[in-house]
Amino acid sequence: MADPKKPRAPFAPWDRRELPGTFTVEDTAKRVGHYKWVEMRLFEALGGWVATVPELDVKMRLGTHCYKHAWHSELWHKRLPELREMNPDRLTRPPNEAMEEFFKVLTEPEDQGQTIEKLVGVYRVLIPRKIAAYTYHLNNTSTITDAPTIRSLKLALNDEFDDWRDGEMLIQALIETDEEVERAAAHQTRLEKIMLRAGGVAGPGSLGSVPETMTEEVPV
Amino acid sequence: MTKVVVIPEAFTLVHFESGRIQDLAAKVAGLVGLPADVEIRIEVEEQSPLGRVRVESIDPITIAVQGGAFEHAKKPRQLSDDSVVDVLGRVFHRIKDRLDPDFGKPPPDAELTLQQATAWDAYCVGRSDRLGLHPSKARRLYHFRNRHGFTDVADATFERLWNAEHLTWADIEAACAATASARQPA
Amino acid sequence: MKKNMPPDELARDGRFVRVNMVERISDPRNGRGPTGGRVGARLTPDRPGAPDAARALMHGIFVGEIQALEGAGRTCWDFEVGAGSDDVPFQLKLDMARQCWDEARHCEISVKLSEWMGTEIGEFAESTFLFEAACNPDPVLRLTGVNRALEGLAIDVFNTMKEFGNVVGDPVLEFCEDWMLADEVTHVKMGSDWLRRLTVDDPERRKRALEFQRIVDKLFSGGGFRGDDEDSPVHLARRFREMAGFTVDEIDEISDLARQARAEARARTAGATAGAAAEAG
Ligand SMILES: [Fe+2]
Ligand SMILES: [Fe+2]
Repeated sequence: MADPKKPRAPFAPWDRRELPGTFTVEDTAKRVGHYKWVEMRLFEALGGWVATVPELDVKMRLGTHCYKHAWHSELWHKRLPELREMNPDRLTRPPNEAMEEFFKVLTEPEDQGQTIEKLVGVYRVLIPRKIAAYTYHLNNTSTITDAPTIRSLKLALNDEFDDWRDGEMLIQALIETDEEVERAAAHQTRLEKIMLRAGGVAGPGSLGSVPETMTEEVPV
Repeated sequence: MTKVVVIPEAFTLVHFESGRIQDLAAKVAGLVGLPADVEIRIEVEEQSPLGRVRVESIDPITIAVQGGAFEHAKKPRQLSDDSVVDVLGRVFHRIKDRLDPDFGKPPPDAELTLQQATAWDAYCVGRSDRLGLHPSKARRLYHFRNRHGFTDVADATFERLWNAEHLTWADIEAACAATASARQPA
Repeated sequence: MKKNMPPDELARDGRFVRVNMVERISDPRNGRGPTGGRVGARLTPDRPGAPDAARALMHGIFVGEIQALEGAGRTCWDFEVGAGSDDVPFQLKLDMARQCWDEARHCEISVKLSEWMGTEIGEFAESTFLFEAACNPDPVLRLTGVNRALEGLAIDVFNTMKEFGNVVGDPVLEFCEDWMLADEVTHVKMGSDWLRRLTVDDPERRKRALEFQRIVDKLFSGGGFRGDDEDSPVHLARRFREMAGFTVDEIDEISDLARQARAEARARTAGATAGAAAEAG
């Protein structure tokens, strides 16, 4: 071993973390509050749907995924006070009314014959949007100051990718006719349009740049 | 065709039809190859939802059945054709063996050990399967493992009994002895 | 999707057939002589029908797991986070989501275990009583009825099955029950903890919840299916219940309830037998 008294660089040569990041503490808390709200709405919906889907494999997957999103919401809930938000409920809110509308439409399907719609809303629209927002956040926050958020984002993203794959494969296995392809596409289109207005799971700026038509964030 | 008598003639606690049981029993008896000139008496204890079946005597052939054995597992108090065929396929093979002097002299049903009964059942139900009566092999294997051990020897013995024809009581006893020695801790 | 889904809307594929409690209770065979009724003897390997009894019981557990999954899922959906009497704390919802995952695993375990035991999915009828208890509109009553009464019963059943697996030497059965039992203890504990926390300032509500639990407990001790007696098919798992937050007094009370239910069933049997003898005479 080298001389223990010899001075060493505080950042090892392979440690490329940098100080600057895109988000302030306040920006981060706001985004995290939106994440928590979205994760909560999602786990509640998945839990509610379990009893409404007759397909055993889907039923069991939804039950499993329900917990993962509940756990994400808990991660975000615990992160909020660390971001100077001592009342986590205050920031636990949707980014805008369009996001509220999105969840209203997402949870509309209830009948036993609507498993395709239920899955499409979650796995073809919402989860890809969550992956996008989380990835953007992960890649743009300060790798030094915001390490706790990064850790949670990575844990959540790991689940999101797994669940997206599960959900997408279930959809592919369930769709057997042209008519079902169209049903899936129609529901996806309907939800995508609302999501477009919402600007992503963290509102406009979910992916950084804000489209010109969306420069004003609509408070709820 | 074998004559079948079902007791009671009319059921009051369950929705069983004795005529239906008679028809199915006669069909299965023919398939199994019971002598056409014997009479079979099936006494159903309709108040019992349990599923015990016992050959009470061979001459005359008398089978005591707890009602649950013939009952539809999903529709309480309804007769299940599949259950009747499954139960009688197994029991008729046992009777056929008892009537066959070459089979040997097994103890009466009430004196069979659990190992002897399940080993003999495996042999009986395997033959039912080959007659196209569609019994559940997985269920029988589980019964067998419960009685003969969860060992490779038990599984191989089950497979042999299931696929066998023309066994004797001595073969059944030998099968029991083989699985018993595999159950002994080394 | 609406809140508070009625039990008859539970989604199942074509393999499952439902029987209701009324049908079971009004079965005219109940209480007719020594072999009448559904309740058999203790689940021990020396019973000739033990493997089939274990298979049927395991299928009952399987559909119970599906309903437990569905019930926990509905509790995530049916209530808002808040402090009102119709609301629930955020943490309670997280517990229910965790239970969803656990019950989903129990369904997976049950499917594999049933296959191992030679049982087909939907081979036996399904009674939806567990989910019915999970439809109580008061979240405290719902958790008490489901997590303390029914999941408590699950502890007793799993423990009995685990012992059965051990005695017959079925390594798969024993392994599966051991793991499910561990989860059920945490579920019962959730019920005990939330009952205590949510009714700390509301003794009336606690009383109602415990009364609801008693009703559910008694129904499932019906005819002596579960109890402390040597020949009860399913035994009260005292040690695991204590781990799950039951006091000794509470366990004694369930034992008494079971004994009472058993005595009532015996009296009914004796009455029916005497009646039949009188008719015959
Ligand atoms: Fe469970
Ligand atoms: Fe549970």
